[in-house]
Amino acid sequence: MFRYIIRRLIYMIPVLIGISIIAFITMYAAGDPIALIKAGKPNITQVTLEGLKRYYGLDKPLPIQYLSWLSNILQLNFGNSLYGGRPVNDIIAPRIWPTIELQVVSLLIAFAISIPIAVQSARKPYSKQDVTITSLSLFGVSMPTFWFGLILIIVFSFSLGWFPSAGSQGVAGFVWWGNPLLDQIAHLILPVAVLVYVSLAQNIRLIRANMLEVLRSDYVLAARASGLSERKVVYGYALRNAITPALTFLGIALGGMIAGAPMTEYVFSWPGLGRQYVASTINLDFPTIMGITMIITVMTLIANLIMDILYVYIDPRVRIR
Amino acid sequence: MKTENSALNKTPKRRSASQWAVAWRRFRRNKAGVAGLIIVLAVVFVGIFGDFLAPYPAYPNLGALTPFNHGDVRTPPSLKYPLGTDVGGTDVLSDILHGTKYALYVGVVVTIITMAIAIVVGAIAGYFGGWVDNVLMRITEVFLVFPSLLFILVFVKVLTVGAGVGSSINFLGLSIPMGLTIVVLVLAIFNWPGDARMIRGEFLRVRELEFVEAERALGANNRRIIFRHILPNILSSIIVVASLTIAYAILLEAGVSFLGFGDVNTVTWGQILENNFSDMRIVWWAEVFPGLAILITVFGFNLLGDGLSDALNPRLRD
Repeated sequence: MFRYIIRRLIYMIPVLIGISIIAFITMYAAGDPIALIKAGKPNITQVTLEGLKRYYGLDKPLPIQYLSWLSNILQLNFGNSLYGGRPVNDIIAPRIWPTIELQVVSLLIAFAISIPIAVQSARKPYSKQDVTITSLSLFGVSMPTFWFGLILIIVFSFSLGWFPSAGSQGVAGFVWWGNPLLDQIAHLILPVAVLVYVSLAQNIRLIRANMLEVLRSDYVLAARASGLSERKVVYGYALRNAITPALTFLGIALGGMIAGAPMTEYVFSWPGLGRQYVASTINLDFPTIMGITMIITVMTLIANLIMDILYVYIDPRVRIR
Repeated sequence: MKTENSALNKTPKRRSASQWAVAWRRFRRNKAGVAGLIIVLAVVFVGIFGDFLAPYPAYPNLGALTPFNHGDVRTPPSLKYPLGTDVGGTDVLSDILHGTKYALYVGVVVTIITMAIAIVVGAIAGYFGGWVDNVLMRITEVFLVFPSLLFILVFVKVLTVGAGVGSSINFLGLSIPMGLTIVVLVLAIFNWPGDARMIRGEFLRVRELEFVEAERALGANNRRIIFRHILPNILSSIIVVASLTIAYAILLEAGVSFLGFGDVNTVTWGQILENNFSDMRIVWWAEVFPGLAILITVFGFNLLGDGLSDALNPRLRD
């Protein structure tokens, strides 16, 4: 197992390099930051522009620029922000944890809830209960993530005043529910509810479809025929096979979820990577944009690795080579 | 089923018509699918006639004081303004009705471009296989691992920052906003990989069937086999995916606009949400109703897609 993980980590290197090259070229093709600075400040002098160009190393050829950028990020140095001049590290570092906290909590809750619901739904397909569940999850997939967040804020925060509407902790000495830990939870509830509902809908649709297929297979019939309880058949025998394809998909979905964080974080003013990304992109602050992109890519790859490891545990047929 | 039909009906034309008739009969029985179809038809109707239905004319330009702006800023829903007015004094109902055509424009055009790229890539990869398949699939994989929303935002921002925003192209008498078109193109470019994989899978399945082999034995060239024989056979899957892609594109555009990256001169539904976001404690109606319009439209296309999937691919059902 240990060797498997090490090898998977090594496999991640070419993928990362590939994505970093694509990201770099994309950013380069996306626009010349000097021209953008000029567009923003029409009466800037040519001398200043040349100076800026030299300062940011933009006068060197493209491969050199890439290599120097790559060697810098390998030393975890993403350079300085074009907007305000602060080191990108200082901007990014405090925002990593809030994003992970939000994503992991929502993912765990969503997965825990979606399994029993999907199983219930698949056991009596096209029954009233199943139709209700599938329609509700289709409804969930159709809802704009951020809009659901807005509705929750309007109802639970503005009207009822139960939960805070923004941020990850109380400000100016005001602590929700009189305790720092409870304050954290109070701030988490609404954004987590949004993320859970959105991924819940996807999970249920996926696991239900797999479960329907598995429940029709011969080995389930054999298990039923040998007189096992329905509970044992469904949860002990069928579930494992229904969940493995879902896990692969979840690995991809997780990437989408982490990258989709901007929506939720923006709505709830959550101090995470996603909200910072939106702000940096509006200012076209390329060093910060690149830094966050790389961090999010690494997080996605690690999430995929964890999924693959889980896969090995759940499905013994998957041999570790 | 196919051989049965061809035995009954001599002409190939009749045969294909009856196949779709069977699907239609199956579709009609599916209440959710029919509901989706009705919603979609209603949205298309509003998209075409929205400008006549709206109680107030469209907002001509950002910042301009318009005749319908009577200074009634932030008025809650009333008889005069059924869904209230927003922070700029615009009637929310009118904005939603005017915005319907943009939602359809985004959904349909993104889907056409996405499906065109996806069909070409999926057909080449699935039909020829080998290294072509390998290269194309690695590319789509990178796109799938890619945090595409992040790149969509950068591209939209850079492309709309100077050129073209605010102007519009005249196409067949319709004025198409430039900024929104940029958003549409960027969405399509980042949207095709998932659909390409699906079409590749279908091609892999169909190319092994006997009729393709028979066609090859008769000396048909690759282009003929792909376009005349395989493509019509996977048309049902393409229609289903297209319907779901429309829904997804509308959602994505709303999100991009809401984050402040849309075309500021085109009042799409996402744009209304973004304009009123900072004042939503007061003008909650300007946040609730446009979002509801997005939800209903996307739900309609999703229901339709699911219904079509059940009707056209009955073997998936049970």
